[in-house]
Amino acid sequence: MMLKPYFAFAKKSFLKRSAYRFNHLMSIFNTCLQIFIFWGIYKALYGDRTEVDGITMSMVTTNFILSMGLSAVFYVDDYFLPSKIWDGSIANELLRPVSFKGKMIAENLGNAAFNFVFQFVPALLICVWTIGMKPPASPQMFVLFLVSAILGYGVLWSISFAVQMTAFWLVNIWSLTTIKTVFINVLSGSMIPLWFMPEWMRGVLQFTPFSSIYFTPVQIYLGQLSLQEICFQYLVQILWIIVIYFVGNLLWIKGQKKLVVQGG
Amino acid sequence: MKCDTFYLIGMYTKTIMKSWFQYKIDAVLRSLAVFLREATGIIVIYFTLLKFDTLNGWNLYEMLFLFSFLFVTYGILILFFTGLRDFGDTVRNGNFDRFILRPRGLLFQIIFINADWFAAIGHGCLGIALFIISAGKVGVEWNVISIFYAIVTIVGGVFIQGAIFLFLATLNIYLLETDSLKEIFYWNMRKFAGYPISIFHKGIQMIMIYIVPFAFVNYFPVQFLLRKADMAQYPSLFMYMTPLVGAGMYLLAYGFWRLSLKYYKSSGN
Repeated sequence: MMLKPYFAFAKKSFLKRSAYRFNHLMSIFNTCLQIFIFWGIYKALYGDRTEVDGITMSMVTTNFILSMGLSAVFYVDDYFLPSKIWDGSIANELLRPVSFKGKMIAENLGNAAFNFVFQFVPALLICVWTIGMKPPASPQMFVLFLVSAILGYGVLWSISFAVQMTAFWLVNIWSLTTIKTVFINVLSGSMIPLWFMPEWMRGVLQFTPFSSIYFTPVQIYLGQLSLQEICFQYLVQILWIIVIYFVGNLLWIKGQKKLVVQGG
Repeated sequence: MKCDTFYLIGMYTKTIMKSWFQYKIDAVLRSLAVFLREATGIIVIYFTLLKFDTLNGWNLYEMLFLFSFLFVTYGILILFFTGLRDFGDTVRNGNFDRFILRPRGLLFQIIFINADWFAAIGHGCLGIALFIISAGKVGVEWNVISIFYAIVTIVGGVFIQGAIFLFLATLNIYLLETDSLKEIFYWNMRKFAGYPISIFHKGIQMIMIYIVPFAFVNYFPVQFLLRKADMAQYPSLFMYMTPLVGAGMYLLAYGFWRLSLKYYKSSGN
């Protein structure tokens, strides 16, 4: 497979983002603010206690900084396909000699790279400087954390991919993507550290893909998992990517046959 | 006031309803999505307090009560102020010029020509649900005074947020792009407003009281009804000031609006 055109797509979307400087300053500000709000809440919740259930305040802070920081990096354009169905440009896209899904991944990755350099890194520095966070458990764990974070992005991307495919049948998928985002926000651990979820809820969450998006990488970063557990979690993440992508791909194949473009 | 004003309001509302509910299933889904999106913060606080019991002395029901004021006021607000919330687009695409040419008050048209019913239903239902769930359990003695107080402060809270929208909308006359300002001064400050402001940094408290006074929309009114311990650090006068702050801010914003209209130049087309 020729990768060159996909690099070009990724580069293009990276450069496109650099044009809107004020917007991305705002995004850094928003990410930090979100972290500060939850940090403030947990500081009040902890009060004088140094730990709750063996979880220290600095672990909670690290969880918020990493998971909200990663959610700023993990860019997925939920309207990549829907917007092309609305304006009819999907017809041209399908005629191109490059894979549509490949282009979709490439453009999202270009954005994610931009977010990593210009949002995650500045937000991380601001947060480390103001509220502080734990260093990784060990250099080895840090590398394993990176691998798991990339897999986490894969899970998030495939969820969005599958949801977008419903655009072949639904005219307006705003409601669906919004509901999807709610599920991810509540259940992935970025707003409630999953350590503090009730036992039954953690049981339910084991059977959903949400905790493998941010919480698995965070746990690895903090050194909470043994090597064996890490391997198992990697498998879980990969399994989710495959299953969800497969469902999305099924819809993609069916949708193309059903596609009706209303004029151009 | 011209005699057909109410007829006009009726017609506008009817048209809005018709267009919003053109696709019925979509309308239901959209309202549900807004409802769930706004409930995110509440689901989060629910699970958090299952574990921690109280946040700075506030228990779950008291927190829900605090949230309910925020959502009820927004649900009412958005029926009237959608036009001001989205005023930037109206100016940019030149529709505002059309408003100017019509023989009716500008603010009248902006207010009644658009209403975000999904947001109103989503936020409003959530607010009412929270209020019903929590009102009986937070130990408020519901009598004539407390009910009157609740109604007056809700109206005041609507006007405070309406004034912020009106002020930001007016800025569109000078600057073409104010969405970022709205993001900073309205939406971001609102994120703090669901929690007792006493848990945050002093600087943020100052902003919430004196600059973007969300504290008067829900925190101080709820304090009047609940009298939590953390009220001790603020003057007790604050608990009575919501209607005053609302009226004052709205008058100021309205004055700014009237003054600025003289300087309006079309964005061109």
